[in-house]
This record gives sequence, structure tokens and C-alpha cells, in this order.
Amino acid sequence: MSRIPAIGLRLVQLLPVLIGITIVTFLLVKLSPGDPVRLMLGDRATEETVAAVRAQLGFDLPLWKQYLSYAGNLLQGDLGQSIRYRLPVLDLILGVMPRTLFLATYVLVLSIPATVILSVVAARHAGKPVDQIIRILSVIGMTIPVFWLGIMLARFLGVELGLFPVSGYGDGFIDHLHHLFLPALSTSVWLVPMLVRNLRASILEQMEADYVVASRAKGLPARYIFGRHILPNSLLPTLNLLGVMIAFLIGGSVIVEIVYAVPGLGGLMIEAVLARDYTVIQGLTLFYALGTVIVTLSVDLISTWIDPRVQL
Amino acid sequence: MNLKRLGRAVGLLAALTLASPAATHAEDIVRIASAYRTTTLDPALSAAAGNIETYGQLYGRLIRRAADGSLEPGLAESWAVSDDGKTVTLKIRDAKFSDGSPITADDVVFSLLRVRDLKESAYSAPLQQLAEAKAGDAQTVILTLKSAFAPFVGNLEVFNTGIVSKKDVETRGEAAFTTTPVTSGPYVVKEWRPNDRLILAANPHYWREGYPKNDGAELIEVVDDNTRVTMMIAGELDAARGVPWSQVADLKGRDGISMPLEPSTVIFMTLLNHSRAPFNDLKVRQAAAHAIDTVAVTKAMTFGYAATANTTLPGAVDFHDKDNPGLGYDVEDAKKLLKESSYDGKPATILITDSAESERLAVLLQAQWAVIGLNAKIEKVDGGVWWERVPGADYDAAPTWWYNETPDPDLAVRWALCGTCGSESYYTKYNNAKVDELTETAARELDPVKRGALYKEIQTISTEEVAQIPLYYPPYANAYGNRIKGLMMTPSLQWTLEETEVVQP
Repeated sequence: MSRIPAIGLRLVQLLPVLIGITIVTFLLVKLSPGDPVRLMLGDRATEETVAAVRAQLGFDLPLWKQYLSYAGNLLQGDLGQSIRYRLPVLDLILGVMPRTLFLATYVLVLSIPATVILSVVAARHAGKPVDQIIRILSVIGMTIPVFWLGIMLARFLGVELGLFPVSGYGDGFIDHLHHLFLPALSTSVWLVPMLVRNLRASILEQMEADYVVASRAKGLPARYIFGRHILPNSLLPTLNLLGVMIAFLIGGSVIVEIVYAVPGLGGLMIEAVLARDYTVIQGLTLFYALGTVIVTLSVDLISTWIDPRVQL
Repeated sequence: MNLKRLGRAVGLLAALTLASPAATHAEDIVRIASAYRTTTLDPALSAAAGNIETYGQLYGRLIRRAADGSLEPGLAESWAVSDDGKTVTLKIRDAKFSDGSPITADDVVFSLLRVRDLKESAYSAPLQQLAEAKAGDAQTVILTLKSAFAPFVGNLEVFNTGIVSKKDVETRGEAAFTTTPVTSGPYVVKEWRPNDRLILAANPHYWREGYPKNDGAELIEVVDDNTRVTMMIAGELDAARGVPWSQVADLKGRDGISMPLEPSTVIFMTLLNHSRAPFNDLKVRQAAAHAIDTVAVTKAMTFGYAATANTTLPGAVDFHDKDNPGLGYDVEDAKKLLKESSYDGKPATILITDSAESERLAVLLQAQWAVIGLNAKIEKVDGGVWWERVPGADYDAAPTWWYNETPDPDLAVRWALCGTCGSESYYTKYNNAKVDELTETAARELDPVKRGALYKEIQTISTEEVAQIPLYYPPYANAYGNRIKGLMMTPSLQWTLEETEVVQP
């Protein structure tokens, strides 16, 4: 069975979505108040200077003309130049992307095993004290504000115990792991409970399913039933949730990035919005859209792999 | 089994996303964190905090300012002002750019005229009096002024008057400043990571023998106040700019961290919109000023680390009138004035940016105005909108701060109090012909005693007329680690980075 045509179709469907996104983000940033030129030049620039730079950047042209020239450049693979930094948007994005991807991957590496272990333990001991404890911890994990947890972890594990750096991302693989541990942990503390609640519920549901009862009746060993039938079948809904979360992590790790001074895509987006750096906002939005599509497509592919009955 | 494969895929992804290798830390690199970003390396293009600090490290200026505030030779080894005060002749020292090429009079003329004339020049005011600049010979520059102008030589020390390479800028154009500019100051750019940090390395051709006293520096952009403090305590920084006042006492008490609280030319005040009701009425402005207990506000905002402001000018500029009694706190008087005024009870809009500090300040103003019956509502917007509405005079009151880039008060007065100098008194539309006239007279007066009297008069008039409501003069809340020695921030917002030694590796 070949999945290529299905994947191709998905990618073609992406085109109108991307065009829509460029139009919406273009209009949103252009029509919202605030002027990137004023922010770039600083307090003391005169109104004449601001006007001169606006004209130089083409901001005095009609909106449709500005959009056409933007879209034209985009077709040639040119995301344009940052208004604020006067550097290519693509360079700015690619400059920080490795950190964000590294952090997101790190979070997954910490979260996935923890999720599976905690969910299995909780589900197998449903209603017992272990399960209650895991559920209470989950609620705590989900409700602690990430920025507060970040500051506390940095002050305690970083400053008092000196175990981890409190900022930056280090040089080289091992150093990255060391520097990004606290950011990854802070994010996982919030992510794991969400996934655990989801996975625990679906394991419990599968444990009651007819085919499981039938397998037990057939005398299959409990361990085999759990590993071969219950777990794989319970994973699908959580996998979909995880997909959404990954897409969210790539764009939404802003708080953790700010608390631990690891400037990534999220920080770039926030700064671009505050500085009204239109081209960077548009470029990043396109990136997020692409990223989200790639992640959901990957999740779907993995789903068909886990459960061949799932169609793309 | 599938899980195992998934695990392997994740591991592979982790291996693939190895971040780009970054510079290894040499031992005597000075690490400074600030919330303000470097957004351009071109000295002509911005007058925003962050860039101001950076320019000083990259581009040498003709004049330097000594620790005591006096002027001393920079790239100009000597200078002479003609008797009529209209011609300044500077002798350029034998110095080189970071690429090894000589710094000539042509480069100086080019750099100064660029700041004065470039359409996108963010701040040409310091050089507005310059009529003509020409090279006498390779090492002599002759500057002709429109008229005698007392602050002119001092203005050659302002952050955007640094010398750039004419040849490089003409050859590379805009690209000359996007990655590795040719510099004339103590440092060159080793690597610029926009939105993250600027990594500086010592300029081997810097004219001052034996400077900089370190191998380089990292200007790290850390927007969160708490994170800077945590990094400082954890020893990941040598200096942190802008420690929140609430944490100053804690940091001061820690071993290995000092907070000298250097004087700054920063002034916190609230703008008032003179072009519409209610603050177009002098009595409402005076009532609003008398209603505010500035001593208490200073204490509440800065834990008493700042001085209470008494005039419309920053406390650290020359000729600041220390004897001016200020507007005074008098609720009864304020109530009376408000009653006599044209105020109709409509709430005034306090426009602030989205920061905890401005919000606290706005709430304090609102509460104290409420006591005398002056209603106000707080409107919170982001920096982009604030900078659209304030220049457009679409606000009533706007608590904020500004600073003066040089000790001479001329630029400060032009910026904040002069109605015809471009910014219409920091967009308050305060316009007093007498103040405007005094501004020009004071700038042309070469006798310091007479100048002092003129600035005193400007402060008296503008404070009495409540051009703005002065609140407090904060020092810099910078923290320094004991790994380094010799780093401080000058009142002109410049780090003394080249003097900084790393004493503990």
C-alpha cells in the first residue's frame, strides 16, 4: 500500500491554506495600530524622519500594492527583510530555530517515557492510592504557572544547589542538554499531566473492551495482552493530542524561553509583534503553519503505522 | 516494538537538531545583560536604548568625557574654538580603523555630515548647528557653526557622532552595518545574533594603547527582570542592567555583588497634553501637580533609592536648579485650584505601556488625583501604540521617563521643553515663546555663569507652568560581580567597558 498519493494530496491542500494565511496575517499586522518605523528610530526621531523612512520602505503605497509585492517575493522563496534588523527574515528564523527544535525534542524525550510509565501505573492500579497520587500530582502540574515554576526551579536547582545553568543554551550537544534541562523540565511538568490524563483514560477504556475480555478468556498472559493489544490501541488518541502539543511547543514556548533567556522562535515572534516587524511576523506565521502541517501529517503517518486500519 | 522505533526516531531527531556550534568562552570576556536590544549597528539609524550602549563600544568619538564630566581628547587629540565661537578646528590623531586603514579628516567629515543629513538619521539634533564641515588636511577638520554654540564641542561626544569608515560605507552601503562593520572604537563585532546577543572582540587597532583591558564582551539581551537577577546571583553574568528596585537590597547584601547606583540623567515624570482639556488649563495642571506627593511616590516606586524631582530637567544635567522648591504637595491648594478651573469632571486618560512599573506609577497618580476630584482612567497599550498616540497628542497624561545623552542641558531643553524645536516639548504641545527664546539665548551664551542663570529661568517658568509633572531622578540600578573591575555606566548611558579588567577568572 503506497501512501505517496495521499501525502501528495495533503500537500496540495496546503496551498490555499498558506495563501489564506499570508493574506490574513498581512492584513492583521498592517491594520493594527503601531508603527515599526517609530519604534526602530527611537524616541528622538522627528516626524519628518519617520515619514521619510516609511516612504523608503514602501509603507505609503496602497495596501494591495504592498501585498502584491510581498506575495511576489514570497513566490521566489524570499521572505523579505526584517524592518527592524534589516537582515533577511529567513536568516533570523533559521538562526534561532535549532534551539527551539532542540528544546521541543528534549521536552518530548523527557515527557514521553514519563507519560507512558505514569499512565500505565495509574491505569493498572486504577482507584488505588498510587493512582490517586498520580492524579493529584497531575492537577498540581497542570495548574502551576510555568513562569513561576521556572523562576523557582532556577533559584533552587540553579542558584542554591548549583546543579544547572539558569540561562542560555551552551555550546555543543552535552552543554545544550545541561543548559536546557531546566527549561525542558519546566515544560514537561505542564505537558506530562495533560498527556497522562488522556492516556490513562484510554487505557482504562481499552481494558474493558470486548477483544481484551476475549483474549483473557482465551488464556493469553496478562502481560502479553497489555503490551500487544491494550497499549498500542490506547496510544492513538494521546498521539493526536501530542501532535497538537508539539505544534504548540514550537511556537508557544515563549514563557520558558523568556524565563531562561533562551531566545528561540517564540521570543522572536513576541519581539517582532512588539516592534511591529511586519515581515518577521509574516515569515514566522508561515513557518508555524508549515510546521503544524508537517507535525500533523507525521502524526497521521505514525497512526497508520501503529494501527493499519487508520486511513490517511 | 513500535514504541521502540518511535523512541529511536525521536533520538535521531535530537541528534539532527544539534544547535550550531557557538563561540567558546575565553576567560576574560565581560558578560553584561540588559533588557534593551541592539537592533542596528549603524550609529545614524537609531536613538533607542540598547543601540546607544552598543554604538559607544564600536565607534570612537572625537571627544571623550572623563569620569568627572570634563571633556578630554578622543580621536581628536586637540581642538580649538575661534574667538567668535563659530569655528571649531580639530586635529585628528594618528589612529586606525579596525581594518587597519587610517582614520582621516575625510572620514570625520563624512561621519558627522551623515548624521546631520541622512534622511533616515534618527537623531540629528546634536549637529543641527553645524553649517559646514571640511577637511583642512588629512588630519585637520574645520567645523563652521551657524552661530556661536556653547554645547557644540560637548555634543561631539554624543552616542551617534562616532566615526565610521567613509570608504567602507560607500563600498558596502547598508551591508556595511548589518554584520561586521569597520569600527573605530575599542571593539569589533565578533558575532551578532539579533534578538539574542552581540559578541564583541577587542579591536587590535584601537588608538588607546593598552585598551580595552579585556578580550571582549557579550552584550546579552535578557528581557525578563527576574531572569537577569537570577543569572547575576548564579554567577552567569558580570553585570546586569536595570535590577528591579524591590530586589536591590537583596542583591546588595550578597557576597561578590555590588550595586553602586551610579547617577544617571534619567527623569521620571508624567507628560500632560496641553492641546486639549483638561490639561490645557494651567489651573488643572497645577492642581494635578499639587495633588501628588512626589516624596511618597519616589519611595513607593524606587524604595527610596531615587531622589525626588524638583524641576522639569533631570537632576544630573549641568545647571540643574537644586534650589528650585518644586511644585509642592498641597491637597487643599490643589482642590481649590481645581474648583477654580474649567475642569468638568470628565475622566482624563492616563496612557501607559504594558509594564509593571508604568502600571504602578499610573495607579499612584490616579489615586492621588481622585482625592482632589480629578477623575482619571488608565489605558494600557503596547509600546507600538503608545508611540503612535503620544506623538499624535491622543492622550491626557502619560507617565514615562527620558534621559539626556550628555550633561549639557541644551538637548534636554530642546527635547522636553521647547515648543518649536521639533518634538513640541516631548509631544505635550507645551509652547511658551519665552522658553523657546531662552533656549536659543542660553545655547549661544559662552559664559557658564550667565548660561546657568538662563537655564534656571527656563526651569522656573516651565516648572511653574507645569510643562510636565516631574516625579523622581533614579540612579542606575546596575549590579556588578566581583569577577570584574572598572565597569560602570556613565550618565550618558555608556558602559566604561574598555576600562574593565577581569580580575577573577
